[in-house]
Amino acid sequence: MRTLLLLPLLAGAALTVPGDPVPPRRTAPPPPPSAAVRPAVHPVLRPISRVATRVASRPLVRPPAARAPLAPAAMGPVLTQYCGKCHNNTSRRGNLSLAGYDALRAPDAAEVSEKIVTKLRLGMMPPAGSARPTGDTLDAIAALLEQQLDSAASARPDPGYRTFQRLNRAEYRASVLALLGLEVDAANYLPPDTKSDGFDNIADAQALSPMLLDAYLRAASDLSWLAVGNRAAAAASVTWTVPKLASQMEHVPGTPYGTRGGIAVTHTFPADGDYRLDANFFHETTGAFAGGLARGERLELSVDGERVALLEVDRFMTAADPNGVAMSSEPVRISAGTHRLAAAFVPPGFQTVSQELVSPLKYSLFSTSNATAYGFQQLPHLREFTVRGPLRVTGVSETATRRRIFRCRPADASGGSAEARTCARTIITRLGTEAYRRALTPGDVDGLLALYEGGRAGTGGFEGGIRAALEGILASPDFVFRFERAPADARPGVAYRLRDEELAVRLAFFLWSAPPDAALREAAARGRLGTPAGVEREVRRMLADPRASSLATRFAAQWLRLPDLAQVQPDIRQYTDFDEQLRGAMQRETELFFDDLVRRDRSALELFRADYTFVNEQLARHYGIPGVAGPQFRRVRYPDSTRGGILGHASVLTLTSHATRTSAVERGKWVMEVLLHSPPPPPPPGVPDLEATPGAADGRLLTVRERMAAHRANPTCASCHRMIDPIGLALEGFDVTGRVRLRDNGMPIDTRTELWDGTPAANLPALRAALLRRQESLLRTFTQNLMAYALGRRVEAGDMPAVRAIVRGAGAQQHRMSAYILGVVRTPAFRMQRPPEPVAASSDR
Amino acid sequence: MPLIPRTPLDRRTFLQGMGAMIALPQLEAMRPVGRAARALAQAGDPTRVLFLEMVHGAAGCSPFGQAEHLWSPRETGSSFSLAGTSLSPLEPWRHTLSIISNTDVRNAEAYKPEEIGGDHFRSSAVFLTQAHPTQTEGSDVHAGTSIDQLYARRFGQGTPIPSMQLCIEPLDRAGGCAYGYSCLYTDSISWASPTEPLPMVRDPRVAFEQLFGVGSTPAERAARTRSTASVLDWITGRVAELRRELGVADRQRVDQYLENVREIERRIQQVEARNRSGEERELAGAPAGVPDSFGDHVRLMFDLQVLALQADMTRVFSFKLGRDASSRVYPESGVMTGFHPASHHGNNPARVKEFAEINKYHVGLLPYLLEKLNATMDGDTPLLQKTAIVYGSPMADGNTHNHRRCPLLVLGGANGRHAGNRHVMAPDGTPMANAMLELLHRLGVDDVTQFGDSTGTLAF
Repeated sequence: MRTLLLLPLLAGAALTVPGDPVPPRRTAPPPPPSAAVRPAVHPVLRPISRVATRVASRPLVRPPAARAPLAPAAMGPVLTQYCGKCHNNTSRRGNLSLAGYDALRAPDAAEVSEKIVTKLRLGMMPPAGSARPTGDTLDAIAALLEQQLDSAASARPDPGYRTFQRLNRAEYRASVLALLGLEVDAANYLPPDTKSDGFDNIADAQALSPMLLDAYLRAASDLSWLAVGNRAAAAASVTWTVPKLASQMEHVPGTPYGTRGGIAVTHTFPADGDYRLDANFFHETTGAFAGGLARGERLELSVDGERVALLEVDRFMTAADPNGVAMSSEPVRISAGTHRLAAAFVPPGFQTVSQELVSPLKYSLFSTSNATAYGFQQLPHLREFTVRGPLRVTGVSETATRRRIFRCRPADASGGSAEARTCARTIITRLGTEAYRRALTPGDVDGLLALYEGGRAGTGGFEGGIRAALEGILASPDFVFRFERAPADARPGVAYRLRDEELAVRLAFFLWSAPPDAALREAAARGRLGTPAGVEREVRRMLADPRASSLATRFAAQWLRLPDLAQVQPDIRQYTDFDEQLRGAMQRETELFFDDLVRRDRSALELFRADYTFVNEQLARHYGIPGVAGPQFRRVRYPDSTRGGILGHASVLTLTSHATRTSAVERGKWVMEVLLHSPPPPPPPGVPDLEATPGAADGRLLTVRERMAAHRANPTCASCHRMIDPIGLALEGFDVTGRVRLRDNGMPIDTRTELWDGTPAANLPALRAALLRRQESLLRTFTQNLMAYALGRRVEAGDMPAVRAIVRGAGAQQHRMSAYILGVVRTPAFRMQRPPEPVAASSDR
Repeated sequence: MPLIPRTPLDRRTFLQGMGAMIALPQLEAMRPVGRAARALAQAGDPTRVLFLEMVHGAAGCSPFGQAEHLWSPRETGSSFSLAGTSLSPLEPWRHTLSIISNTDVRNAEAYKPEEIGGDHFRSSAVFLTQAHPTQTEGSDVHAGTSIDQLYARRFGQGTPIPSMQLCIEPLDRAGGCAYGYSCLYTDSISWASPTEPLPMVRDPRVAFEQLFGVGSTPAERAARTRSTASVLDWITGRVAELRRELGVADRQRVDQYLENVREIERRIQQVEARNRSGEERELAGAPAGVPDSFGDHVRLMFDLQVLALQADMTRVFSFKLGRDASSRVYPESGVMTGFHPASHHGNNPARVKEFAEINKYHVGLLPYLLEKLNATMDGDTPLLQKTAIVYGSPMADGNTHNHRRCPLLVLGGANGRHAGNRHVMAPDGTPMANAMLELLHRLGVDDVTQFGDSTGTLAF
């Protein structure tokens, strides 16, 4: 009730909130008073006919916004009049009914209220073509609702609750690296991460299963042997595959300079010994070695940059040979530990330029069916690289990892002496503290020492004991999970603060996707995370650390759905410059762009409007930006306004396309879901695919836009697609791979469209401007995602007041990235937990 | 929920990701609880199923070969003679063999002018789906759900691994193979859905570790298991403390974790009990990698399949023995012409007969599998009696790339649902899908009424 008393005051204040600049429009006459007298028209069909007439008559120059105070009591009638026609118990459009919704008691139905706020702030409701109230009424309602929600939240703050997280693949990799200095590919061990809301670190989606436990156990066993070394290691083989789409015409990073193509990998060897390196080459479909026309090609195999073998490539190999199109090195002596291996071609002293007479170069790499045909002079391509061994073990020499583990060494190799046990205790305590991200209890140490004794017995000795303890550490729930202990007096429904040690862990996994370093643990131990200034100092230190790039490679990449890029394979015959390297460059561009915003602490709005980006030579060529040479990325300013912000990134434009055509729907959906947090409802069942609409009419091929129009003629589809498609249509000037195009299917493209709120847009700058007029919505969505990733839980209606507060606070700091990051770190949700009150168990019984 | 999520892994990371799979054999006490267990109880003792594909058709499907009966025998019914056919190595197993002749794989044919000639790059996707693949080199591949996956959905969920996919030849896993077809069509015969081809495992080591855990010798694996067991034991103690330390809300999750710990402990105990009984359960040593010889590679993969079935790790295999347009030479066959060149024999009698020798060599690999399955007892029944093996090719006459009158064999007792000693000659124009639909019905997937281009069922 107290909040309600404040409302008149707040309502006045609401009007000074920077107004949404979309001017009011001439509205249709008030709707008929009673639904009963309305002609029975299909609810979906009606708005379409309206659109057609209204769009034509809508004035392009709008009158200045009228600003009259809106009495809170007026909200209800307005909502009923303009929203209730669809959102009632009968129609339930968008699965929402406002019957029984009391706008004066917005916090009582926070979820519905937040939905209303989102749609009103975006200007998405009432939909274009439907009657809307005059002036800034809708904005005023949104503001009034927000005020209510926000003051209710500050009167009764709820940090929410999330259960403990487990290390996902990326975090596991980083944790093993931090603990042992061992580079592992977590995908070798752990199943793919389950995602929720696009993120792989959402605690309650991280289901547990015997399979998962088994995966962690196996990884613990394997890595403990790998770290300590294995004198009894038996021969095994590991194979890396070079994707067929990877160009091997240029130097591959990590291979020796002066070489061409091939692959570079890091591999950890379990023991010193002899290993064989095998190379398997691409061959023509019917068996002939692809690249057989090139003479004098040699394949260099190197370990840590040093040549260990130089194979003369046999250009007459065929798949019919007993070993196929493959070559092997003699056994190579390699020491235990991690080494960088490379296999790459050494071009002959004289090599003709590869000539392609028939089809584009990339196509002949992509399809090896024509490797030996006239007109293609293909160079050999590596297909697989295999390490086989150890064929003979000679020992286990010192490695960086072993040095890191064995900080002390007893004279007694069996590990039974008092000295050995003291040393074991030292090693185990250090490893355990780092792995568990907390100080060990005496019980922890005793348990691990018992494992040491078990491993020491028999033939294991001191090292065997340490290995067993390390296996225990890596398998321990304290390593695999990130527990946050509840205080002894914790009660359901009552929030408590996390201990500084736990806050440090949250900070580290949020900003680094890695465990806390010594400095952060120290700051926590000394109580320096207890003050806002102390936290800020740590956050700024961490943001300056290279590990903070995980905000780009993990947070931004997942938020923007960059992993989807790997699923798209543009048709190589239409998009002839696409290869694996270009795909990687696209992803890298977006990541570097975001990383740069964080590093230079730029405004979050640059995400949408930056007039610069990051390109290397290949991507610059793809974009048509001149003057960029070399494989390294650099910041460049766009020559014109065709692109700008992430919406112009090839990554986003490609991941929202199909193999052979762009998709206005996918692009529109991406914007609505990723940038506006306003996902369109899923299509009803039985909807025909766009592919089911004819691809040609009147003797010519149709553009995507034309096919969309035919598709939208279906009334069931139209109601949503009217919002989705125009966004994507404004981006039709970019092809499947994000290149600027003027034609689609040979027909000139037409990008003119009207966005969901009636704003005309014919290209990316116009779309961007329209979106930036809704900058509040963009920033809220960004914050929601950042918060979900930081908290490891989905952000819900109850969190929206905090989201709004972060955006407001950041606004006072030019929307700097640090303001958002610190804003999230400062929310109670990040620093506190509120155990859920037990739900009345009656529902089950 | 199945123990292993059936979501296909990212194709690129699949091979690396294999390490994550369940490591220990599945025995009575490890049977899953809950829904999976109920499904299992309903299923009883499901038939193990192996689908083997050989590419390039058979010499006996060419005009000359057909006249000479180089693939299937002249006689139909049960008194047929395999002498002189490529199937002659199966003579000792005829009591459990059904030869199904004269069925067509029409969906492997070209529908459109631009598809003409692309048979090699389309066929494998058709064999077990009997659906027509969309011609594309992009990511928008589309075929059908394969029969092994339909079966695994129903009967594979009770085992740690619902189904496994193995192959012999190297894969590309992306990119165009030829004639505008993505290599995904050429690389896999198993399709989880029309858009999800499942990657096939070529390295026996990878398959082995997936099934039996890491370690090269039984002793090493046993040592590792012991180490894991003591770690588990110690974890159990830690979980008790955790229950005290954590809030009520987290306790439920800790309890679930503890259940998982107990589940894995049970499995280890079972394995150890079996190992103590001295029964030969494993290969003497884990394979180091892909053997050089085709025959060795195939036999090793058969060994793994039998071991996996014996340990009830999985009940469904698909195994791709060849890759279309491969020119591999099989020296053990006595023929030194490459597989693909040999298949283009031009209907020249001498060359057709040469190709028939290669077919015979391939079929001759089957008795090794059959013997092993027959010698392996499941309870008091030879595993062969509880297994159905399908062997066939989606191409018929490799010389002309046609897909009519394709080779198809069914072997094994299938829990009493397959008799053998029969040669069925289907009426002209019968889709192979009809035989597959019949098989599905017999194996208990009886609510599927349509498979691929089936027009009904073909009794065999």
